Amino acid sequence: MMHFSHLRTMLCAAALAAVAVPAHAQLTIDMTKPSFEPVPIAIVDFAGDPMGGQIAEVIRNDLQNCGLFRSISPGSFIERNINANAAPRFPDWRSIGAQGLVVGQIAQVGGNIKVDFRLWDVVVGQQATGLSFTSQPNNWRRLGHIIADAIYKRVTGEEGYFDSRVAYVSETGSVSNRTKRIAIMDQDGANNRYITDGRTPAVTPRFSPTLQELVYMAFSDNNSPPKVYLQNVDSGRRELLGNFPGMSLSPRFSPDGSRVAMSLSKDGRTNLYEMDLRGQNLRRLTNSPAIDTSPSYSPDGTQIVFNSDRGGSQQLYVMGAGGGGDRRVSFGDGRYATPVWSPRGDYIAFTKITGGSFGIGVMRPDGSGERMLASGFLVEGPTWAPNGRVLMYFSQQPNSGGGAASLQQIDITGRFGRQVPTPTSASDPAWSPLIPQ
Amino acid sequence: MRTIKALTVMAAMAFLAACSSSQQAAVPASTTVTPGSVADFKQNVGDRVYFDTDLSGVRPDGRATLDKQATWLKQYTNYPITVEGKCDERGTREYNLALGERRANAVKQYLIAQGIPASRIQTISYGKERPEVLGSDEGAWARNRVGITVLQ
Amino acid sequence: MAGFDLQLGIDMKILFSTLLFLALALPSAASAQGSAYVDDRLNQLQQSVTTLTGQVEQLQYQNQQLQQQMEKMRTDYDFRIDQLEKGGKGGPRPAGPAAAGPSAPPPAQQAASTGSADDLYHTAFKMFQDGDYAGAERDFRAFVQRYPKHVLAPNAQYWLGESYYARRDYQNAMTAFAEGYKVYKASAKGPDNLLKLGMTLAVLGRKSDACSVFSRFTQDYPRATDLQKRRIDQERQRNNCG
Repeated sequence: MMHFSHLRTMLCAAALAAVAVPAHAQLTIDMTKPSFEPVPIAIVDFAGDPMGGQIAEVIRNDLQNCGLFRSISPGSFIERNINANAAPRFPDWRSIGAQGLVVGQIAQVGGNIKVDFRLWDVVVGQQATGLSFTSQPNNWRRLGHIIADAIYKRVTGEEGYFDSRVAYVSETGSVSNRTKRIAIMDQDGANNRYITDGRTPAVTPRFSPTLQELVYMAFSDNNSPPKVYLQNVDSGRRELLGNFPGMSLSPRFSPDGSRVAMSLSKDGRTNLYEMDLRGQNLRRLTNSPAIDTSPSYSPDGTQIVFNSDRGGSQQLYVMGAGGGGDRRVSFGDGRYATPVWSPRGDYIAFTKITGGSFGIGVMRPDGSGERMLASGFLVEGPTWAPNGRVLMYFSQQPNSGGGAASLQQIDITGRFGRQVPTPTSASDPAWSPLIPQ
Repeated sequence: MRTIKALTVMAAMAFLAACSSSQQAAVPASTTVTPGSVADFKQNVGDRVYFDTDLSGVRPDGRATLDKQATWLKQYTNYPITVEGKCDERGTREYNLALGERRANAVKQYLIAQGIPASRIQTISYGKERPEVLGSDEGAWARNRVGITVLQ
Repeated sequence: MAGFDLQLGIDMKILFSTLLFLALALPSAASAQGSAYVDDRLNQLQQSVTTLTGQVEQLQYQNQQLQQQMEKMRTDYDFRIDQLEKGGKGGPRPAGPAAAGPSAPPPAQQAASTGSADDLYHTAFKMFQDGDYAGAERDFRAFVQRYPKHVLAPNAQYWLGESYYARRDYQNAMTAFAEGYKVYKASAKGPDNLLKLGMTLAVLGRKSDACSVFSRFTQDYPRATDLQKRRIDQERQRNNCG
């Protein structure tokens, strides 16, 4: 079993001195342009250690999967045994169509590994960026993701998102009595690990900002209503979050991790509350005879968007984080659900139900500029990548067809979609922030 | 809102007053099952009521079933009950959990109004997590929008 | 806006009278007709409160949209008056259907655009206001040819159509509005182009074409202002569109 706690330590980065004279390079992608070609990039197996090939493969996958790059097959590389600390033979790389070239060198330093990498702008013939990382050897996958993030940032100008995790619900068994377990994995599907044992169904996981805890809702053995739990990821210790007579559901951490917003159901009403994790004090946020659920904090923590059927059908509302000042923001056709505020604050993603079909869309926080990105028989529950430029959601087959669910990823322009690999049927993805370094 | 609260209290008092004296005769049991058994309740009374899409009001056909349930439960007082609320697959997970709770509560309130003590009735929602019927057409969905009275 | 306030007021009155009725009727009704009756009434009450909540939200939203629209129009009139005062002439406004259109010259964006493009646009617009439709036509056409990506290009295209329309040159007006609708569909002038394209087709006797153009409005411009929606509805009625 992996222990995530020490992944947070022993990771240090330093800039590498440029081999060539630095100059303004051309290797950039403007993601706001209506159309652009993926950048062809060659990633050479890192030298100096057998794990160099594995690290390079992690980087290739990340860059290829985000849709902005095309990873050139290593079989077509002309220059071999490339020296990571000297300029490459640019014509060799130009001739196979590469615009970017990534090389790296691994060295053992004490018990740690030191990884130097350089990104070359092949078109201009200059170094675009170069960094050095030192970490424990079992961190090699994270090193790959961190390097991929550095390349992504250098080329797009946006923060990366590869060094992050996803919590989700692993689903196995028949539709009518399905086992639902909370699982976590790296953003690329690696290091899958189960958090709950599946004895009772558990759904809707969310990461704390430090990734050390998860909140989720789980049913109990004894026919009593399902409740919200807080669980430490490393120790596995879990606690009931408040002991209320009815059902508690839809827990979400505040951006600073000190509070959890959730719904409590009583006598047919479902209202939003906020619990202070230190004092376990409970504060009521809404008071309506309707169903108020699926809250999401704005990244600055001052507002909460949620869905409510107080006006007759599910719509999105924004209120102050302390409750009050509710205003409806969705006015399109159909029902709106599961709003999620982007970590950048610029969009709210949501599930939309119109007629017989489900869609995933985004709108500005004031409700303007609605745009649909995906649709299907049942697509639900968007979650944002840490950079606020990519969404994950789940897509479920009809129950008549077995009800299998899968995680899907789409970028905010709606251009690049892909299925995220999971060991089992999977729903309710929740993307973590970047892993603290 | 305060007015509504006051009305609810009045209404609840009215329910209690109206129902305390209304003992009715039990429905005759079929010969194939033991009267007063779980099978008797399921076969001769009916353990479930259905709801319209996105709604949680008990329909007239459901009322007839719940009237029979109340009569039966008043005769066989040894069963505590749990009302399970469920939804079809055409909604989002969290909302459906809350909607299932609202449906279970609608059944509970109706039974209370018919004189079943609140202390005998628990509710639980399964949302869309445990459909009763497999299928992805209106027929299947209609049977998954359900409140089921389970004898403990 | 007064209309919306009135509407809200009426809704609230219905709500309160319902509540009052229930408060008075409940106790006697409960004992007389049994708890199912009370249950029913409470559910109905709950339902009507929910429905009214939804209606109030919709009305507030429409009200807000209308206010924004009026604010835009006010800025627009201020701009026009300002232009007239600067010009010192206060020449006649274009008459007929053209002037009745919901269209407006652009307000604030000019600061960001280049001097020469701005000058050309404003000269053309001034000519239009002064009734020099041929001159306006020439300059608006020059503008869209020279600056097709300029923020004012959708507006220039629209006013090019108007400069034909004002002279009853409906054939050219139709082409200009159709072009504006096609090329600058997503611009703020998109709905206006569609409206005037339909009106022009109607004047040319092509009623069924006009109706099919009007019928695209809701789909193409779900967020159009209420004023624009009303204008479309009026035109649809006028032309007996199905």
